[in-house]
Amino acid sequence: MRLLFILALSIPLAAQTVEECRNDEHYGRRDQAKQCFEKLIGSHNPAMQAEGFWGLRKYEEANKAFRLAVAGAPKVPGYRVRWGRLLLERFNQSQAAELFQEALQIDPKSAPATLGLALVASDGFEHKAVDLANKALELDPKLTEAQELLASLALEDNTPEKAAAEAEKALKMSPESLDAMAILGTMDMLRDQKSTPWFDRMLKINPVYGEGYAIAGHFFVLNRRYVEGIQYYRKALELNPDDMGARAELGVNLMRLGEEKEAREQLLQCFEGGYRNALTTNSLTLLDSYKNFVTFKTDNTIIKVHKKEADLLHPYVEAELKRAIATYEKKYKLKLTAPVQVEVYPDHEDFAVRTMGMPGLGALGVTFGNVVAMDSPSGRKPGTFHWASTLWHELSHVYVLTATNHRVPRWFTEGMAVHEETAASPDWGDRLDPEAIRAIKEKKLLPVAELDRGFIRPTYPNQVVVSYFQAGRICDYIDKTWGYDKLLDMMHSFAQSVSTAEVIEKQLGMKPEDFDTKFIAWLEAQTKTTVQGFDEWKKKIRTLNELAKAGKQDEVIQSGLAIRDMYPDYVEAGSVYELLADAYLAKGDKAKAMAQLEKYSSIGGRSSELIKKLATLQEEAGKKKEAAASLQRLNYIYPFDEELHRRLGDLWLQQGNTRGAVAEYTAVIASKPLDQAASRFNLARALQSDHRTEDAKEQLLLALEAAPGFKPAQRLLLEMSSK
Amino acid sequence: MAFAAEVGCGLKLVSLLLCGALCAHATTFCVTLAGLGGEPDYEQRFTTWAKEIDQTLKGAGPDVKSEMLSGPAATRARFRTVLESFAKEAKQQDALIVMLIGHGSFDGTDYKINIPGPDISATELAAMLDRVPAGRQLVVNMTSASGGSVHALQKPNRSVITATRSGSEKNATVFARYWVEGLRNAAADTDKNEVITALEAFKYAELKTKQFYDTQKRLSTEHASIDGGDQQGPLLAARFPLLRLGSIQLAAKDPAKQELLAKREHLEQQIDQLKFQKAATPTDEYKKQLSALLLDLARTQAELDK
Repeated sequence: MRLLFILALSIPLAAQTVEECRNDEHYGRRDQAKQCFEKLIGSHNPAMQAEGFWGLRKYEEANKAFRLAVAGAPKVPGYRVRWGRLLLERFNQSQAAELFQEALQIDPKSAPATLGLALVASDGFEHKAVDLANKALELDPKLTEAQELLASLALEDNTPEKAAAEAEKALKMSPESLDAMAILGTMDMLRDQKSTPWFDRMLKINPVYGEGYAIAGHFFVLNRRYVEGIQYYRKALELNPDDMGARAELGVNLMRLGEEKEAREQLLQCFEGGYRNALTTNSLTLLDSYKNFVTFKTDNTIIKVHKKEADLLHPYVEAELKRAIATYEKKYKLKLTAPVQVEVYPDHEDFAVRTMGMPGLGALGVTFGNVVAMDSPSGRKPGTFHWASTLWHELSHVYVLTATNHRVPRWFTEGMAVHEETAASPDWGDRLDPEAIRAIKEKKLLPVAELDRGFIRPTYPNQVVVSYFQAGRICDYIDKTWGYDKLLDMMHSFAQSVSTAEVIEKQLGMKPEDFDTKFIAWLEAQTKTTVQGFDEWKKKIRTLNELAKAGKQDEVIQSGLAIRDMYPDYVEAGSVYELLADAYLAKGDKAKAMAQLEKYSSIGGRSSELIKKLATLQEEAGKKKEAAASLQRLNYIYPFDEELHRRLGDLWLQQGNTRGAVAEYTAVIASKPLDQAASRFNLARALQSDHRTEDAKEQLLLALEAAPGFKPAQRLLLEMSSK
Repeated sequence: MAFAAEVGCGLKLVSLLLCGALCAHATTFCVTLAGLGGEPDYEQRFTTWAKEIDQTLKGAGPDVKSEMLSGPAATRARFRTVLESFAKEAKQQDALIVMLIGHGSFDGTDYKINIPGPDISATELAAMLDRVPAGRQLVVNMTSASGGSVHALQKPNRSVITATRSGSEKNATVFARYWVEGLRNAAADTDKNEVITALEAFKYAELKTKQFYDTQKRLSTEHASIDGGDQQGPLLAARFPLLRLGSIQLAAKDPAKQELLAKREHLEQQIDQLKFQKAATPTDEYKKQLSALLLDLARTQAELDK
């Protein structure tokens, strides 16, 4: 890959030598290449020295030499480009991009500088990578590396036909393009072909070209085929043990699959070998932090939670995970053969390490095979995160990936996962948000056959979010039109490694374009009121909030009722439901306030404050069962709330749900309450009602130990002693 | 008494002092001052909190005299007048509580609370308080920068609770919200003796304030403290009863129950002693002894309550 690029550089005098060095590298003659680079160091030209140091992996020295080279020849764009490429290889994308830009200021037609920018954009899965690579090719039609990049980008976008065509072009430009061969070989293996000629051809040219297998590893991981990805990285390292990039990826992917011991060994080897990119160092830090996590195992679950919140969170997560497994076993007609591991991170930065280097959002949870990593509700502001919905979403991936043996396009597995959220409970999942409304209105939804692109390489802000929405609605539409079994049929078709277009044709009996037309018509009919009235609603909701601030309750009620159903899915701060409830309360009409908040909650509103307010109104109205249900919803949103558990415990106990009461009062204790005595006493009462006398006595003793004079506890003690 | 359990050997002293404070026929003089809000939202919040404190204290019994100043009435002159009237009435065995809500400032030398007209500085406030003969005094300064007032206000037998640990914590505080909540919430009475002490209310508000910032994912801009973190601060606050929640005093007035009261006190002391030795006592033995003592105490209390 580098060979032709070097030829294009205008490095004076010793250019021949650089070419020779890279030539040795290209053919896998490592010893000769090393000797060649060593000779370069002796050059009087700092740019040559830099290339020599770089070839010998002496990055600091190379960096210094390039600095001298650029200072000595500030008008030579090639030095800046090569320096930028060094920095890009050493994880410094921002300074690399600056150097490429500087080179372009000197020579606006510099193809290598344009390619440099394309590579930077490619690292960040940015859409402009494709445009920049094309531009580089326009500037220099012989720039094979740009052509190879286009092939790689097309494969990342899950457009294999295009990727193959681009790779073929690269081979026409340079019949010894190793990366083009690796991409074509990867495509064969992704299609489950038993063999491919491409890797053999690649190895004939360079018998130690491990990088080719690392390319395969990259694409297998991108397709969530982690086990095979790991195998390719191992193969890459067999051929080239010094490829620290491949080793780091091996370590990270081992970590993703829960193979922590070997992951640490591999990552440490990288770190100690000077390969210290953010992925490596952050992953090592995360592995170190696992000592602060507690692991709970059952026959089919492994739950890893931070010790500071294990007591509180573990019972809820385990119960919900088991419920989801039982549901999915029936829905997907599949029994997992290994336990599902769920890791819950209170620190979002720790969770973020798990998604580093992955395209798409992965903002709340991520699934690697049977391992699910997700944010803890404690890591986010109350009301902004529905952890149970996320858990069900991620677990759906586990089933879909297992059922398809990881051969499924991104859009389908995400669509199923989004669909399952609201199937679990209509108030779960995400509501129709302004980004999706705008995308529908501006006809920005992607054709189904190209929907993966929206996840991997978005072309506008929030396209990833919109793509989740679209994929979910596509699955809703198929479910409603053809039935849930059709979704399963599609899933099994994908397992045969066929494309979206083929699956749509085979299973739904229509061309993808026809499907798009029908789906869009269905979606537009469903969202018509909101999409058409959105601009007007936006203006009016602003006015409504102003009226509420001014305390004009009657006007709030009048205007609020008029616009509420224009956009009923809006349940964020300052929603119509909230303003109406406040206005009714200000006027003393609790029944109507409660009705608004009930609607808010049933649609999916998640504010702890509002839902607790609703529960209070329901309790006051004697609707204790409904009050308990409202508070129970909060357990799935933000369980780090002592008051919530106490109130719910009280309600369950009143309603004779003694097990529920025990669970909630136990959660109060896990919240480390200030009032230990009352908390232990409540738990003792619930345990006694649940006929767990010995446990009740234990808790009562703890209550009285904290407050010996606590009269209600004393009375219970006397009562229990008299029996 | 919650604090007593933590300090171990200081236990008896605290118990006796608290009992003394509760048993004497003392009056508690309270004044709550809500300063300027600067904007309507704060103005309303400060006034509401002050009113809630005043209502709670007024409902606490006939031996509590509570005054509240907010809005245009919250001037230095009016505040001084209230304290002068307290100074005339109060005696050595009485208690004085001053609660300040609002925005404060600290210029590196002196603290001021922002009120209509001339502000009141910590030095001026200290001078006003010195003129009130009440033997036990409590200042709860819940304003921003309130930590800057500690130095001027501190003196023996005066406990100073502040929403911030220094004068440099200048952001608006939420401590007052939870202090008010603590006065109304039986959960603040962690030892369940039906009395909320200043220390209990402080701990309640401190914890809730911390949880507020944790939950909102905001960097905490206030750190409440007692006497600026002085180690003796909690001792004085622990023996400062703010509110009585039940009928704790009734039994004490009945001569027929003196023997039971003495037994209860003895049992409580035995329990405290056992708890103090918990780490050195085998678990089963500890539980057995504790159960027996607690049962005896429960029976004694039942007799007392008859």
